[in-house]
Amino acid sequence: MSETSLSLRQRIWNPEARLAYVLLLPTVVFLAAFMFYPIIYVFVMSFFRTNKLSALTKFVGVKNFIGQFQDTEFWWAALRSLIWTAIGVSSKFLLGMLIAVLLNVKYRGRKVARMAFIIPWASSVPISALLWKLVYHPDFGLLNRTLSATGIWPNPPGGVGAPIPAFAASMWVDVWIGIPFFALVFLAGMQAIPPELYESAHMDGAGSWRSYFSITLPGLRELILISTLLSAIWTFNDFNVIYILTGAGPASTTNILITSVYIDAFVERRFDWAAVQSVITFVILSIVSVIYARFYFRQENA
Amino acid sequence: MKKSILFRLGVVILLFAPIVVWSAPKATFFWAGYDGLTEDFRASLESAFNAQSTDAQIQIVPVPWDSLQDKLNTAVAGGAPPDISVVGTRWILDYMSTDSVVEVAPYVSKATLDNINPAAMEAKVKGKLMGLPIAAGARILALNASITKEVPRTIEELERYAIRFNRPPQHYGLFMPGKEHTELTDFCYYFYGAGGNYFETLPDGSYGKCTVNSPAGVRALTFMAKLALKDKVVEDNFTTYDRIHGHPLFYAGKIGYVMIGAWVDSAMKQAGATFPVIYADIPSFAGQKQAGLIITDSVAFFKQGQNLQAAGKFVDFFYQKQWKGKFDQLIGFPPVTLDAAKDPFWNTPLYKALNHAALTARPWPLVDGFDTLNHETWVACEKVFQGQATPQEALDAAAAAVDKARGM
Repeated sequence: MSETSLSLRQRIWNPEARLAYVLLLPTVVFLAAFMFYPIIYVFVMSFFRTNKLSALTKFVGVKNFIGQFQDTEFWWAALRSLIWTAIGVSSKFLLGMLIAVLLNVKYRGRKVARMAFIIPWASSVPISALLWKLVYHPDFGLLNRTLSATGIWPNPPGGVGAPIPAFAASMWVDVWIGIPFFALVFLAGMQAIPPELYESAHMDGAGSWRSYFSITLPGLRELILISTLLSAIWTFNDFNVIYILTGAGPASTTNILITSVYIDAFVERRFDWAAVQSVITFVILSIVSVIYARFYFRQENA
Repeated sequence: MKKSILFRLGVVILLFAPIVVWSAPKATFFWAGYDGLTEDFRASLESAFNAQSTDAQIQIVPVPWDSLQDKLNTAVAGGAPPDISVVGTRWILDYMSTDSVVEVAPYVSKATLDNINPAAMEAKVKGKLMGLPIAAGARILALNASITKEVPRTIEELERYAIRFNRPPQHYGLFMPGKEHTELTDFCYYFYGAGGNYFETLPDGSYGKCTVNSPAGVRALTFMAKLALKDKVVEDNFTTYDRIHGHPLFYAGKIGYVMIGAWVDSAMKQAGATFPVIYADIPSFAGQKQAGLIITDSVAFFKQGQNLQAAGKFVDFFYQKQWKGKFDQLIGFPPVTLDAAKDPFWNTPLYKALNHAALTARPWPLVDGFDTLNHETWVACEKVFQGQATPQEALDAAAAAVDKARGM
């Protein structure tokens, strides 16, 4: 009996399918309770006023959204988020690619190097941020002490106490934590490229750069697309690094959308505003993902 | 065989059921991490109460101050608040607006209530006591007497002395935090000293629009910026310091003048500081009335708590002189209880200064939306410290944000 001649009921409710549903049920319940329900609730919350304990009090329609779009700090936070993401992802991409190339070369101690480079990724992000906070301390931190003691920079900037140093310092920590992800993904991709391609290229007279651009990069195309999309989403939503290092200051100069959500919700207890910003963040990232996916599938079909 | 197992299981359940059924109700108390308060004290208080009580038990949960409000709000919003918690008295209005707290009197004995200094009962709202005072302290000026002995009578004199005794990087004239944190105190010292009020008072006594951008506010913030950016008498990199991380600079002997609270003596002892200290009122601007700041914390009872009666029994036990008095000595705040206040421990220069400052000190405004006021005022201060706005511009933006949040 062919599959097409089976009824719908027989296709979705046969003994094998029933077993699959039972096994999937706990996960589905968990996701529904801890993921889908909160997401839907946040969407609903964005159309209501809330009290200090996040309970819905009054339906206001799109007034919350209009209020946010009229707030200049919202637009600044959005702009900072875009700059943060653009610089962060491109830095992680370039440095990750460089490290992957270096780790792909055979040399003594390569295994140790590979293990060492994974440490930032394997460590807890808040712990890493706290450690860097100590490094950045203007008076007792390792960075300023080293810069002034060696004469490289006799009067280094005061840690994260000024806008540009605060942004740069936070950016570096985010990049430092994120490099291993790109490095590992690209390294795995490089190792999957058949070495015969490089041998053939070499026999045809191609040099290292030509091989890299003609063989390595095309071979990593899909991984590049997926990893940059994931990294963009994670970087856009990187709350831990900024909030631990700078508290979104000084004077909100490192405040991005995700930290703005936290401050509105848990510092000022304006859950409705926080919900609106969460929805807007979700929409932005969804649009980026859709554009990415269309580009990816178009390339694949080409 | 099956019947035998079931029988044995039933016997075991019956044997242990009385323990489950008859265990004393256990109340939960969120215990704020005051400077100077030790874990040993918390543990011994918990053990002592539980040992002597057969019909009530307590679990004291230590929580750092910076995360207390978050933890409490999460617990309340989740429908599982503690029975009692230390709260900043100004938080009580927020909890009342969500019907989360209850009046204290039904759960605490009359003897305990009568033993509390009436002047400390800040949490009385419309005649009902909504929080039992646990700590109340005016803020004072502390001088490192090995650097300076000059007690300023006005803020302008404080500036002159800070400039005179400023010797960076060995020591600095004055400590001033420049980084946002949960307390708004440092701006408030100058603001109250300039005669400022955070809100206008409406004819019915309620609070109207935010007036942090009044001439007094601008004067205060302009002065703070001058101290830091023009006179340069505050610690280097002051924009990276909040109160918690900055006051140790004073304990380390690197600051001449600091505006601080009652914990200074206890904290200095724990830091091993040995230099002499002079205490005085925080001065006001010349021509302004003396007006420091007094801050009270309270113990609030939460409506959805499961064991409020047990919590009340614990509070009666805790507020006895042997425990509350020791608590007060550790955190350094003057006692709110009448019997503990008679202890000769409080007959020191520090407490004389605290009592003197309390005579003219003003509390925080008890207003819904204080969190927004705190955050927006700090953002205004930081903008001025970073040179991004003038004090008037920054405070105008802060006042507008506060009014917007309060629906004004």
